[in-house]
Amino acid sequence: MVSHDSQPAAAIALPRPLSQLPLGFADAAADAQASFRAALQALSMPGLPLPCGVAAPTVPGLMPATVALLLALMDHETPVWWAAPGAAPWLQFHTGAPQAASPAQAHFAVCQLGASWPALEAFCPGTDASPERSTTLLVELASWQGGTPQRCHGPGFREPRSLCLSGLPPGFWVQWQDNHARFPSGVDVIFICGDQLMGLPRTTVVGNVAQGVS
Amino acid sequence: MPVALRRDWLAVLARAGTEDLEDGLRRNAPGLRYEFLRRPERGMVMLRGRVGGTGDPFNLGEATVTRCTVRLADGGVGTGHVLGRNRRKAELVAVFDALLQEPAYRAALERELVASLRQQQQARRASQAAATGASKVEFFTMVRSE
Repeated sequence: MVSHDSQPAAAIALPRPLSQLPLGFADAAADAQASFRAALQALSMPGLPLPCGVAAPTVPGLMPATVALLLALMDHETPVWWAAPGAAPWLQFHTGAPQAASPAQAHFAVCQLGASWPALEAFCPGTDASPERSTTLLVELASWQGGTPQRCHGPGFREPRSLCLSGLPPGFWVQWQDNHARFPSGVDVIFICGDQLMGLPRTTVVGNVAQGVS
Repeated sequence: MPVALRRDWLAVLARAGTEDLEDGLRRNAPGLRYEFLRRPERGMVMLRGRVGGTGDPFNLGEATVTRCTVRLADGGVGTGHVLGRNRRKAELVAVFDALLQEPAYRAALERELVASLRQQQQARRASQAAATGASKVEFFTMVRSE
């Protein structure tokens, strides 16, 4: 007797109501490739706002570039931690990505603008032997402008550049310095504003302009 | 709606031929508009068996399946899983699943399409079983008396 295994069917339980569920990519392969390319570009040219490169579907509570990155990067092996979990069923339906029980177990974290999220050290930093196991944070911002200027340099910078990101929780840059000091462990961040993204890999050195950079 | 009812029509639709489904759509819901919640995509499922039907489960092997989820203009959602790589068939099964969940379509579709498909499939299965049954061989050992 042969029967279909009932386990996979249970694991992909459909979220309800499906009648309002937002769509996925219009052209899954091409759009995912373009988004992946944009993520690589952003992480190799830190501190530069770049277009996400695709027309992402509209998902309530998420910026277009966040939608594009989530659809492109997630699959059933990437637990996602949500600062605000409203869109979790949508992501689960389209990519199979499970919700992480805690920030430390997350491969990716989605930190929406206005939602509160823990300090960087709460996320998984990976280990010195396996630094690739760290969490990658997708952080939504209000604007690329208007925040306290921070001087950034490191791999991928031809010369130091000033970032004035607005919408970050207080104390973020102090946490970032600790994060950078853990190299090769540490989390990576992709900032998102509208349909643009900006990479901040753990290698980037950030210091307050007023204090100068060592 | 009872799950058993939906499971039954999904099983009948999944075993139907693509042409029969195309024909059924043309006759019962021509020009129907729907969008893809999940475009037809191919994957594998693990088939499990049990020795003699009751023994320990074991993995028999993987089978290719195609699945698809569509949404009608009024928000009704249907999903289709079919054995094999036929994307259009998975799409058609999903469309009929959505329609069969709509009270306005269910009775007519059940009568015009699903019932006849079910009948065909049962007839095919019965004739196959009869043909197989005819070739059944009883093995026994003669006891020699001395």
